[in-house]
Amino acid sequence: MAEFLKPKNTNPRGIPEAPFIEKVDTIVKNPESDFENVMKAFQERLQQYKYMELSKRQQLADLNIKIPDIEKNLDVISYIKEKKAEENDEEEEKIIETNYELNDTLYTRASVDVEKLDSVYLWLGAEVMLEYPLDEAVELLNERLRKNNEQLKIIKEDLEFLKENITTMEVNTARLYNWDVERRKKATKE
Amino acid sequence: MELLPEGQRNTAAEVLWEDQQKINKFSTLINKKDEQLEILEKLKTEKEYLDDLALEIELLDEDEKIQYKIGEVFVFLKVEKAVEKIEAENEKLSSQIDEIYETISTYDESLADLKKQLYAKFGNNINLER
Repeated sequence: MAEFLKPKNTNPRGIPEAPFIEKVDTIVKNPESDFENVMKAFQERLQQYKYMELSKRQQLADLNIKIPDIEKNLDVISYIKEKKAEENDEEEEKIIETNYELNDTLYTRASVDVEKLDSVYLWLGAEVMLEYPLDEAVELLNERLRKNNEQLKIIKEDLEFLKENITTMEVNTARLYNWDVERRKKATKE
Repeated sequence: MELLPEGQRNTAAEVLWEDQQKINKFSTLINKKDEQLEILEKLKTEKEYLDDLALEIELLDEDEKIQYKIGEVFVFLKVEKAVEKIEAENEKLSSQIDEIYETISTYDESLADLKKQLYAKFGNNINLER
């Protein structure tokens, strides 16, 4: 790899910082032979950043599905708890009547007796489901929510960092190009 | 990328590292602002729905049961209860919307500041408009 492309710094996830060209002359010493190669090296690096940005965007999109799902779970549990805690004057009060999705676009009714309901089943992945007491389920979900939000923050940071580096590389490319145009003009005049 | 008009030269002032950093900052801020605007748009629509809903629900009998969506299921709730939930939801949304407005206005300040600095240095050689 060309010397100037070696990263001086990386971000906490090891993404290299883009090089900044102080003066084009210091990088392109022999314009006739070097310019093409330098330009190519820069373009390649720019592509790498763009590719990385794409993959991070995908991770971000995944989290943006996962997090609302966890929040929905928490909403339901909190409603169950709310219902359980409710002071009831009538007998039917402790029953949650729902219309739930049995399958895509097919809804049916179900009644849930909250009086006797002390636990929920959480899908843990890998074809495993476990029963949890309400409080523990909330705890587990909150923990998951916290971790995912942390992850979200990190990915946003990375995306910001990548974006900055992409801008640097784009400006570098434009400057290299302008520099070369100027150089050629001078050369033809002479 | 476009070509410069005939006869006009790129008289670019030397780009320094600090200028580069300003340019980077500008581009990230613009991005962040777009993101926030997108979220804001979604929240505003949501709020409109809720406002309409609050009006409609007034027409129903207090003891009637309606289906209110919690998570993925519709729960039969007394109108009275549903109204409570809708109001809480509405309040939450309003404060979220206010927060976003505030964030956007701080972004705008920084953007205007960076714009001034960058135009002062690069003049016509830089384009920071949409």
